[in-house]
Amino acid sequence: MLPWLSRNTEKQIVWQALLPQDNFSLIIGVSLRLTAALVIASLIMAVAGPHIPEHTVQRSGQGAEVIILLDRSRSMDQPFARRHTFRLSTKMNFKESKRSVARYYLTEFVSSRPDDRFGYIFFSEQATGILPLTYSKETTLATIEAGGLGRGLTKTDISVALKKAGEMFEGEVYRGSRIVLLISDGGQILSSEQEQRISQLLRDNNLTLYWIYLRSVNGMTLEEMPGESVLWQGAPERQLHLFFKSLDVPYQAFEAGSLEEFAQAMENINQQHYQTLLLEQKMPRESLADYFLWVALLGLLLLTASQIYTWYGVSRAYRTPRH
Amino acid sequence: MSLSYPKRIFLTALVMLISLILIIAALWFPPVDREIEVMDSLFVIDITDSMNVEDARFGSETISRLNWAKEYTRQSILSMPCGSHAGLAIFSEARSLILMTPVEVCANYHDLMQMLSQFHPTMAWARSSEMSKALYTAIRQAKEITPPPTVVFLTDGHEAPPVHETLFPKFTDTPGEVPGVIVGIGGSDLVPIPKTNEFGEIEGYWEINEVMHKDVYASSRGDAAELNENQPRTEHLSSQKKSHMETVAKRVGFDFISSPGSPQNLIKAMREISEMRQQPVKYDLFVWLASIALILMILVFLPYNLFVKRHE
Repeated sequence: MLPWLSRNTEKQIVWQALLPQDNFSLIIGVSLRLTAALVIASLIMAVAGPHIPEHTVQRSGQGAEVIILLDRSRSMDQPFARRHTFRLSTKMNFKESKRSVARYYLTEFVSSRPDDRFGYIFFSEQATGILPLTYSKETTLATIEAGGLGRGLTKTDISVALKKAGEMFEGEVYRGSRIVLLISDGGQILSSEQEQRISQLLRDNNLTLYWIYLRSVNGMTLEEMPGESVLWQGAPERQLHLFFKSLDVPYQAFEAGSLEEFAQAMENINQQHYQTLLLEQKMPRESLADYFLWVALLGLLLLTASQIYTWYGVSRAYRTPRH
Repeated sequence: MSLSYPKRIFLTALVMLISLILIIAALWFPPVDREIEVMDSLFVIDITDSMNVEDARFGSETISRLNWAKEYTRQSILSMPCGSHAGLAIFSEARSLILMTPVEVCANYHDLMQMLSQFHPTMAWARSSEMSKALYTAIRQAKEITPPPTVVFLTDGHEAPPVHETLFPKFTDTPGEVPGVIVGIGGSDLVPIPKTNEFGEIEGYWEINEVMHKDVYASSRGDAAELNENQPRTEHLSSQKKSHMETVAKRVGFDFISSPGSPQNLIKAMREISEMRQQPVKYDLFVWLASIALILMILVFLPYNLFVKRHE
């Protein structure tokens, strides 16, 4: 609006009719005012901070959706089994508790899988999905790290944890391979009702189950071994293993008895699950101010050039001696 | 004031040229580094049964203490500048359990809120509420985190079973080593505590004979006469235990604020005690440069002829 009201650079002349009618000048005058209006408008727009707000785009990547079920029970505070040790160590090395070992490798695992989406369920007697599926590595790692702090809670209930994992996937759109990563050192004898519920949840949601079984100091294996202790037969861990095997969903158990084996188990999963996954990626907000600045720049360039030319012409006209 | 015609033309051209340079600068001037002060914090939220009492005032509404704690935590996280870190923890029984170590608040706001919304009394692993011991464990665990966060402990101060003044749990660390604030929640009247079942539904209230009214240790040690003295038994009721929280806060070197009205109260208290970190942020000056250019352009085209009376 302003350029039309302004008369700053006009010259008062004696008689309007003395001026020749010049259509070309008229057009130039109007277009210069238009340009000036455009420049001011663009500058206002640029200062107002226009932007495309933060939005998500879908892209496909290589990875999986992983829900980590970490056992937070008290038994996880105990030392991690070392192989070929036939006597109990008198020194309790808490640095190598099962929970801290699990935390260390989970951190490695999460960091090595850039496109995965992670969820985290914390369970002991109850299960709470404290971290719904997220793309943020920072929060996933922070949650895993927190899992290594402090001491364990009460007992373990794997059935509630598995149910929770199934429920977490239930409302989700199917994007690609789905993994439930159970990390626990204990088994459990499930009722037939629980078994049915779990098997249905796993099947309905197309889940793949991995069990990383952290062996305790006594070193019991999930599969029966010749010449083993009779006490191990029919142990809850084995019963759970049998139940998982009877399910018609992909299942694999990794028995981690040493740090190397645990690392190997993680590496195996890492290798297997690189399928195409639909990813949602958050794009940061994008500022549009630069475009407006460019318009203002070009417009002003034109205006300045014409103004300097005018000044040049006027000053020459004033300098020329009058006769 | 009147300028001659050539001078006016010259001035206009000059101002336009300056604006032009300013716009060029706005487009190409590199962002400058600016330091902002950020802090690391760890919010510990009481999830014991007494937090279900609906006597916390939030504006004109009265909501449960737990919801108040969650909402207050949310607003506090929102009030922190980007670059600050916040972690979440819960407390039940006699200990705090950290669920997420501090993460950057702006990028992870959604995840922080998702986790916060899960906090519920069903997560509690035992039915007691030993607030002072839980505070000690929170401090101890905060020390394991690098950099150590400022602990914000949101509780109503209810101790169940109760503690005797002389048999107070010992704090073995150095007071003030880990900075922190205790935020007191709840009203000042004694009200019955709802009892939750395993599904988190409220099922009646804690009855007078269901809770302990005396410190367990006091009963075996102290003066029997004092113990058997006829005192009102009120431990099944709950209110905000201000004096108790003040005592505990003093013991561990924390600040205590009771039912703050705005998150700024907490942020201010935290700023005073926390070790602030300097976080460099990129700051683009283009808004300032473009604004100056805009003002100059408006000055050029301002219709002075409408304001100034011409003397013909």
